[in-house]
Amino acid sequence: MSVRRGSRLAAIARRQGVLIAFIALIAVLFAATPTFGTYQNLINVLQQNSIIGIIACGMTFAIILGGFDLSVGSVTALSSVVGATLMIDLGTPGIPIGIIGAVLACLLVGATNGGLIAYLGVNPFVATLGTMTVVRGLIYVATNASPRFGVPYSFTTLGLGRLFGIPNPALLFLVVAVSLGFVLHRTRFGHYVYAVGGNAAASAQMGVNAARVRFAVYVLVSLCSAISGIILIGQTASATPQAALGYELTAIAAVIVGGAPLGGGHGRMTGTIVGVFLLGVVANGLNLFGVSPFWQPVATGLILIAAVAFDGYSKRGGFGSF
Amino acid sequence: MDGSTQAPEALLRVERVSKSFGAVVALQDISLHLPAGEITGLVGDNGAGKSTLIKIISGVLAPDSGSIEFRGKPANFASPAEAREQGIETVYQDLALAGNLAVWANVYLGRELTVGPKILHILDKRAMLSKTGEMLERFIRNVPPIAEPVESLSGGQRQVVAIARAGAWGSKLILMDEPTAALGVAETKAVEEVIFELKRQGLTLLVISHNLDQVFRVTDGVWVMRRGRVIGYRQTARTHPDEIVSMITGAAAAAGAHA
Repeated sequence: MSVRRGSRLAAIARRQGVLIAFIALIAVLFAATPTFGTYQNLINVLQQNSIIGIIACGMTFAIILGGFDLSVGSVTALSSVVGATLMIDLGTPGIPIGIIGAVLACLLVGATNGGLIAYLGVNPFVATLGTMTVVRGLIYVATNASPRFGVPYSFTTLGLGRLFGIPNPALLFLVVAVSLGFVLHRTRFGHYVYAVGGNAAASAQMGVNAARVRFAVYVLVSLCSAISGIILIGQTASATPQAALGYELTAIAAVIVGGAPLGGGHGRMTGTIVGVFLLGVVANGLNLFGVSPFWQPVATGLILIAAVAFDGYSKRGGFGSF
Repeated sequence: MDGSTQAPEALLRVERVSKSFGAVVALQDISLHLPAGEITGLVGDNGAGKSTLIKIISGVLAPDSGSIEFRGKPANFASPAEAREQGIETVYQDLALAGNLAVWANVYLGRELTVGPKILHILDKRAMLSKTGEMLERFIRNVPPIAEPVESLSGGQRQVVAIARAGAWGSKLILMDEPTAALGVAETKAVEEVIFELKRQGLTLLVISHNLDQVFRVTDGVWVMRRGRVIGYRQTARTHPDEIVSMITGAAAAAGAHA
């Protein structure tokens, strides 16, 4: 497939449009406000976006598979509440038990999502909307909708501490992104996620166990939410039942802005990371310019629409030949 | 039946196979065979049972009664994977390839080469890329760019890849359901060339087609089905499209009944 010379720049713009927009945004912010480039501000951006970033890494798998997971916000809160409750009741020795309990609770929800979608053929929207609502409701019932305080303060090292000057949540985000990027792009499992997302019938015909791939992906997404929920405990030494409300849509937006279409079959982990930070830096920029935080969802929504419209426009041949 | 006195040995024999879906009888006491090394056509009107028969041979469906013999051994496959293991590949009209994956990834789909620790299953992309070219060149004169996603290929190139993939994995028998139904003249010709090349290299092929011109161009012999039954076998060189049409529509049987 030879790309004509004249359209090579257009091809780069098409493929790397979001990355170019991201770099341009950072350049503008650097020029426009001295605060943006300060160490403290950049650390803030990392700190604020790591939790959603970890969720978005898992969401990337679900979207490439041709689905998505609306329950990630509720599952993050579940992880937080279960983990915090165990840590509060058992004290410092309860920290590992709290982590294990939080992960197991989340995996149970992930397995439910995966079972419904992969083996019972329930539509991902319906299945995860259901678990999203049920899990959030159960959290309210169990906590009487009141926060849990009193997690051993040492645990805040995880959420607020730094290593080599970098916030620990950002380091965890890095570990998750690199390892899941490896799984997605280098291993047979990741390859099958693309195959099933591209053509499930053809994959099954060639001997790929499409149901098992689907199941595993939804379990993986829930594991990412579990990690995020545990970091949330570490940021406040407490857990709130209302935690992570709306995270599902932010995570899905980040993945789509990063170049993975909702139809499945396409997308890259690096795209998701750019998507996460593009949305995060816009929010930070608005903040620095003293714009009301109420404008932040407006900006996120507009970026989402712009990114998808740009993608569709360029695919129809708006930027030279295809 | 006319075919039973054929010279080449049968690679596959279907003996008295029946299949119903609820009250609908799809196949009724079907017996036929495929001569080894030949291209055999399977024709019949919509609903004659051709696709059901292919699905039974390839292990997608299980017959209600009757048996299948492949290479002289009983072969009632429990799954398509089992049939593939024994050397029977099926090429479907449109389900065959994942458009978002590169050509090499489709050729190796379900059979990926991996390196490193067993548990990780790390893909050996370089090995698969380099071997795909050789595998396809065995059957295709102009191999499409193997690193490109299949969705960037033409419909004909895709079908050529799907058929060559079936041949490349050392199968003995390839079943094709309407391999050129959606293709233009030039693309159909390219696909037929691959079909001839597969035969030249010793494979046996079964081709379902609605296109009688194609059946007469490509096949050595034809089985005709109507309403779930086998009407008969004709050697292509010794029959005429009119005869096949009358067998498909039942005109021959009606004429016989009146006689």
